[in-house]
Amino acid sequence: MRRVREGMKLLMAILRELGDENAYRRHLAWHNRQHSAEEWRSFSEERLRARYSRAKCC
Amino acid sequence: MAVGAALCAGGVAVYRGEHINSIWLVLAAVCTYATGYRFYGKFIAVRVMALNEKRATPAERLRNGHDFEPTNKWIVFGHHFAAIAGPGPLVGPVLAAQFGYLPGTLWIIIGAVLGGAIQDFVILFASLRRDGKSLGQMAREEIGKIGGFASLLTVLLIMIILLAVVALVVVNALRGSAWGTFTIGATMPIAIFMGLYLRYVRPGKVLECSALGFVLVMGAIFAGRSVAASGSLTAFFTLGAMPLAIAIIIYGFLASALPVWLLLAPRDYLSTFVKLGVIFLLAVGILFVRPELQLPALTRFADGTGPIFAGKIFPFCFITIACGAVSGFHALIASGTTPKMLARETHALPVGYGSMLLESFVAIMAMVAACALQPGVYFAVNAPAGVVGSAPAAAVATISGWGFPVTAPQMAGLAKDVGEQTLFGRTGGAPSLALGMAHIFARSGGGQAVLGFWYHFAIMFEALFILTIIDAGTRVGRFMLQDLLGHIAPPLGRTSWMPGVIATSLAIVVAWGYFLIQGVRDPLGGINSLWPLFGIANQLLAAIAFCVATTILLKMHGARYMAITCVPLAWLVVVTFAASWQKIFSPSPAIGFLAQAEKLSHAAGTAANRALIFNARLDAALCAILMLLVATILLDSVRVWVGILRGTRARRVSETPFVATQLRAEEL
Repeated sequence: MRRVREGMKLLMAILRELGDENAYRRHLAWHNRQHSAEEWRSFSEERLRARYSRAKCC
Repeated sequence: MAVGAALCAGGVAVYRGEHINSIWLVLAAVCTYATGYRFYGKFIAVRVMALNEKRATPAERLRNGHDFEPTNKWIVFGHHFAAIAGPGPLVGPVLAAQFGYLPGTLWIIIGAVLGGAIQDFVILFASLRRDGKSLGQMAREEIGKIGGFASLLTVLLIMIILLAVVALVVVNALRGSAWGTFTIGATMPIAIFMGLYLRYVRPGKVLECSALGFVLVMGAIFAGRSVAASGSLTAFFTLGAMPLAIAIIIYGFLASALPVWLLLAPRDYLSTFVKLGVIFLLAVGILFVRPELQLPALTRFADGTGPIFAGKIFPFCFITIACGAVSGFHALIASGTTPKMLARETHALPVGYGSMLLESFVAIMAMVAACALQPGVYFAVNAPAGVVGSAPAAAVATISGWGFPVTAPQMAGLAKDVGEQTLFGRTGGAPSLALGMAHIFARSGGGQAVLGFWYHFAIMFEALFILTIIDAGTRVGRFMLQDLLGHIAPPLGRTSWMPGVIATSLAIVVAWGYFLIQGVRDPLGGINSLWPLFGIANQLLAAIAFCVATTILLKMHGARYMAITCVPLAWLVVVTFAASWQKIFSPSPAIGFLAQAEKLSHAAGTAANRALIFNARLDAALCAILMLLVATILLDSVRVWVGILRGTRARRVSETPFVATQLRAEEL
């Protein structure tokens, strides 16, 4: 059961990484800021700008 | 594991003239991957790269809370795999199945273990030791300025061909399909809704928003069945190839000009999750159903007369399957985000080498899905009308004449089961893959009653991430073009100057749109010309990556371990140059672009014919340019290698100096 719980935890962590939620948390912690709609928008814009300036794989 | 691999591969080789179960292929692949990973991968990690757990990675040294961040290795693995897995490993094996299951399967397994995984691993390692530098930057520093410029230009050309060919796959999948067109059309307002939801309603809740988007997309698939069954709406959503192509071109331009958060990003999130989910479902489905392979090990088309694309197994099988065996594009990912996330150097083995093996396994699953179809059905779906005839009676007569029996009522029944008007001549690989996947999913539960749903689910899954590649690729292509043009006219290089943005976006859209229209107008279905071009381009990019990798290994160890990257490089050079040469100069009009132009020049001098002649010559010129670019990089690399081996050039390894890691195990 513990293994299953750990597996699910890891799966959720991977999904959060893919969904940029982990990166957002890191951003808040790094800059010592609180979550707000404005904060998410500014983080998201910067992150997406960087992401979509690199080639996507075929 | 090695014995298991040998037994399964032996089983595949020995059982001829009868249908074999797909599980032989799956086990042969898995056992070979495990052996390759444990011995070859580990050998390179320990002896060649000397990966050091105590050495701080760029993620630790340059940690900035954004892109440089030490991350759990399995999270990086998932991230890297999601980034490298595109439509290539799914579509390529389906097309190459025209040779039978054996050539493609062997290439996928051997190519990945000895080539693709090595490329990804070595480039990831090189970038890791160079502060996460990109392939272009490393080419410039390790080989020279010519290499750097040529690799940038090659990537731009590949992007253009890639966007055209994947757009053509979508066009062919949706042509004449009201259900499919409605479902894919619905993903656009759904993505915009998701974008607005994420920005204004629940900022930061990406998983929640994606789950909502997934429910809506599933609803769109169910609604699509009703749309396809209603008279007026059916007519509205049933589009021909040309209107679909124009719609995708307009969409590509708008999506690249719209803010990314509105359409591109939410759909990208959704498509990533759906992609991983479907790959997992397909693996479970194959293990559960264990379908028999209906296609033979080798078909008569090994002689080069294939209807899907012309040309013999060598070299065309090896360029048709690029992603899944060796893909140059992976080098861009392995020198992009991934090296900035690795917490330990030793994680490069599972992430770089391991992810490629998993992608190779995806290609094996696609091969299984295609080969599980009745051969007659497979060829009826994939062979263009220009080869087998446009009337069902003519098509089934031609295909049955090849020794793959199929009947018109059988095809009509299948089309009815999946909610389509016809399945004849649906070239591009996506519809036959969707059909194969639908059969596997339906046999896992639900039977024929759910075949239509699963078919359109698979089409939605393929189209969703292909469209994401189109809009993201157009944007990336625009950045590359601005980067190149900025050297000539500095304002064009500014990404904030709107006229420059619009002009370069238009230039990129027109470039790939031109090739897309060319593919749509091609009487042989377009895939015959464009997919080999894409395969050649992608493998040439892999050759560039191997040039960089060989230069780095040479600087590290002299000639001792050079063969690790030099052998796959030599193979790729031989394959791509042979394929390019044949595509340009083959006297057969089905293969050679110039012979095709020559044949067309004897026909009536209509405007359409003149356009076809021009297109064939343009494809030949493009092929020649790609060859020339890679020959330039190769010669430049050889010049550097000879200098190093003779001792006339310094063997300076441009790695960042060693810094001991401060990260504790519990922090990873």
